[in-house]
Amino acid sequence: MERRIQFARTAPAAKELRRQAGAWLKELRARAGMSQIQLAERLNLKYYTFVSQVENGFGRVPTDSMEAWARALGMEPSAFARRLLSFYDPELYRLLFGVKE
Amino acid sequence: MTVIAFRQKVPPDGSWRRGEITAIVQSLTPTLGSAAASGWDLGATEAGDPQFYLLGPPPHEECILCISRLGGIYVLEDAAGQVLFEHNSLAVLAEQARSILQKKKAQIVARVALIWCALRETFEEKLEAVAGEGEELLAHVVPQLAALA
Repeated sequence: MERRIQFARTAPAAKELRRQAGAWLKELRARAGMSQIQLAERLNLKYYTFVSQVENGFGRVPTDSMEAWARALGMEPSAFARRLLSFYDPELYRLLFGVKE
Repeated sequence: MTVIAFRQKVPPDGSWRRGEITAIVQSLTPTLGSAAASGWDLGATEAGDPQFYLLGPPPHEECILCISRLGGIYVLEDAAGQVLFEHNSLAVLAEQARSILQKKKAQIVARVALIWCALRETFEEKLEAVAGEGEELLAHVVPQLAALA
């Protein structure tokens, strides 16, 4: 029963950008030499499944845990948050920083 | 003699069994296509554990609930990675997911009703003010027109 309900999408770009954010996070994690399980441990998550949810482009890094993610991945928190904002809310990013990444 | 009951190990091959998907979707059917959930998708973790993503309303269609199978247990998480429920029975977990979604749906309906009431009240207030102004204007103009006539 592989039925997936499809609806008209007014912003298909949002999904694609989230997927790109996930790929970027995966790349950062790989560069840091960590598995999803190890990253989840550093983030004090009970299971590593949320890391997968975000990296697969279905979820977002919550704002209140961006700093923890940044530090776990060896990035400066403001640069990390700024880059994620360019994926999650490109219009706000453009208004704040005046450029599109 | 003590017999230890081991959990049934399921190989992490990244795929759901057909019966599992059917059970999840059937349980969530009343909420699919509603204001709370628009559809679903599948994925897997790096280690090959399967994941079921319940997607929120368009345009963003973000994951609002995620069900993962880790060895012999099923884990239900929200969009912020908070573990909401975990159980070795998928039927029990799916039931829990449905109950959470129904609560979400009720919250959305309550919010829409609240917005509608606020809008109606604002509109009525403005309408009353405009009607009041009209009456006042009429009270000034009519005597002047009468004097001219």
